[in-house]
Amino acid sequence: MNSASPAIALESVSKRYGSRTIIHDISFSVGKGEIVGFLGPNGAGKTTTMRMIAGFTTATSGRVTVAGYDMATQNEQAARIIGYVPEQPPLYDVLDVLTYLRFVAEAKGVPRHGIPADLDRVIAACRLEAVVRQEIYKLSKGYRQRVGLAQALLGKPEVLLLDEPTAGLDPGQIQETREVIRSFGQEHAVLLSTHILPEVTLICQRVAIINDGHLLAIDSPDGLQRASEQTNSVSLEVTGAADALRQELLLVAGVNAVTIKSTPGRNELLRVECQVEAQVGIEARIARVVAGRWDLHRLERRQPTLENVFLRYVGQGNQQKTDEGTR
Amino acid sequence: MNGVRAIFIKEIITYFRSPIAYFVIAVFLLGTGYFFIYNIFLTGIGTMDETFRNMAILLLTLIPVMTMRLFSGEYSGRTMELLMTLPLQPWQIVIGKYLGAVTMLCLMTLATGINLIPLYLYGNPETSTILSGYIGFLLLGMACIAIGQFFSALTQNQIVAALITVPVLLGFWFIGHLQAFQASPALRGLFGYLSFSLHFGDFIRGLVRTEALTFYVVVSAIALTLNTSYLQWRR
Repeated sequence: MNSASPAIALESVSKRYGSRTIIHDISFSVGKGEIVGFLGPNGAGKTTTMRMIAGFTTATSGRVTVAGYDMATQNEQAARIIGYVPEQPPLYDVLDVLTYLRFVAEAKGVPRHGIPADLDRVIAACRLEAVVRQEIYKLSKGYRQRVGLAQALLGKPEVLLLDEPTAGLDPGQIQETREVIRSFGQEHAVLLSTHILPEVTLICQRVAIINDGHLLAIDSPDGLQRASEQTNSVSLEVTGAADALRQELLLVAGVNAVTIKSTPGRNELLRVECQVEAQVGIEARIARVVAGRWDLHRLERRQPTLENVFLRYVGQGNQQKTDEGTR
Repeated sequence: MNGVRAIFIKEIITYFRSPIAYFVIAVFLLGTGYFFIYNIFLTGIGTMDETFRNMAILLLTLIPVMTMRLFSGEYSGRTMELLMTLPLQPWQIVIGKYLGAVTMLCLMTLATGINLIPLYLYGNPETSTILSGYIGFLLLGMACIAIGQFFSALTQNQIVAALITVPVLLGFWFIGHLQAFQASPALRGLFGYLSFSLHFGDFIRGLVRTEALTFYVVVSAIALTLNTSYLQWRR
């Protein structure tokens, strides 16, 4: 393997099924020791992208490489260093946990003498000691999910792909799973897809937002929040005259735009949205100007949560789509 | 080769942990036992000729039950995603599964050996004819498994896989009958050549002919190649 190449790299990757394009020209990379969250609503193309990186399907155009191996031509070499947990854990119900894990270890080419130690390692990491002899169909959903994760950790992969790893787990199990992912991510590369936002802020260094097959943004959770703070807003409720209010507000340093709506049935009450720059104390300056001449009922600085950031990006994506559609 | 071995072992364990394998083996042994008793003790002719013919038809109806889950089960259980992302080539998956099913066939066939004990105790059978009959039986079964496994790869519904395989296998068995309706020698030859039962007839008469042997091997190879190419194309 080429140590200079990123653990996972996608270069203008597209996927079409017939005339339908599922993934539009996506590019990003994941480095060693990095945990990247793949965030998007259901049906955004997360699973398809994961499957292309894992080698279950191939890209229609563009290039997917894992540790420098081209997934289109060298997928067998790449498969040796990939641990993949699909959304629904791929388990054989009639096998017991140990037999199942031994099968995966052998298929991954773990040397015969190293298999028992490797099995012990993943069983301990995923806390499966209590169920190793049980048939998989008897396991609870939480255990099934963990057997799926254990399977992926066999053979000490360098890249871990997790499709919705915490879906269907109880809070305690989610905590444990995140611990496993975090400790694995310290030295290896992890790409995990999710539609749970706090998960991303908790364990990911970077977030890729995807909607309708388009990659909308990729940055650290903080970076994404900061980027959207630049177009921060302050909202007010004021009783007064709209035109004079607008003029005064636009004179305040840091206020870029003002929109004013009157409240139906209550002519005097105005709802005001100010697009402001991310400056400390801007709401105080606005408050001083307004409170001097009019009645200020409410003033609120909209702090962008990752949720807002996400909705903003996803909303934009949908907007673009409708624009394309009407063109 | 490790990949083939891993798949093979998984397959064998799966057979013995699912009820279908026991059902197939039980029906097969009951059936062959009945045919043996009927053909030999009621007719009083001390050869396996007719018994082999009946066993073959029973086999044609049981093989689809055995092969239907091979790939359909992997699709519907979502485990195909695991197999295709492990460091395995499609041919390794195909061969591993095929060898697993062939091993089951060998075990089933071996178990019918019990019928031979009374035959040898009370009669004077011709061992070489019986041996060549068994060779033919195994070759026929191997070709049927390869065909059933291929059809199993085409659908995620096990029942559909079996429902396609049964008529195809029966078609190959009875296609020789069409010879009677053909004036053209080319077509007669073709139907005769494609017939599973005509080639099998050579074996149960004690003839291990290269042509018949090659026929079954080629049919298996074609089905397994199609199976592999299909998995590759599907990726």
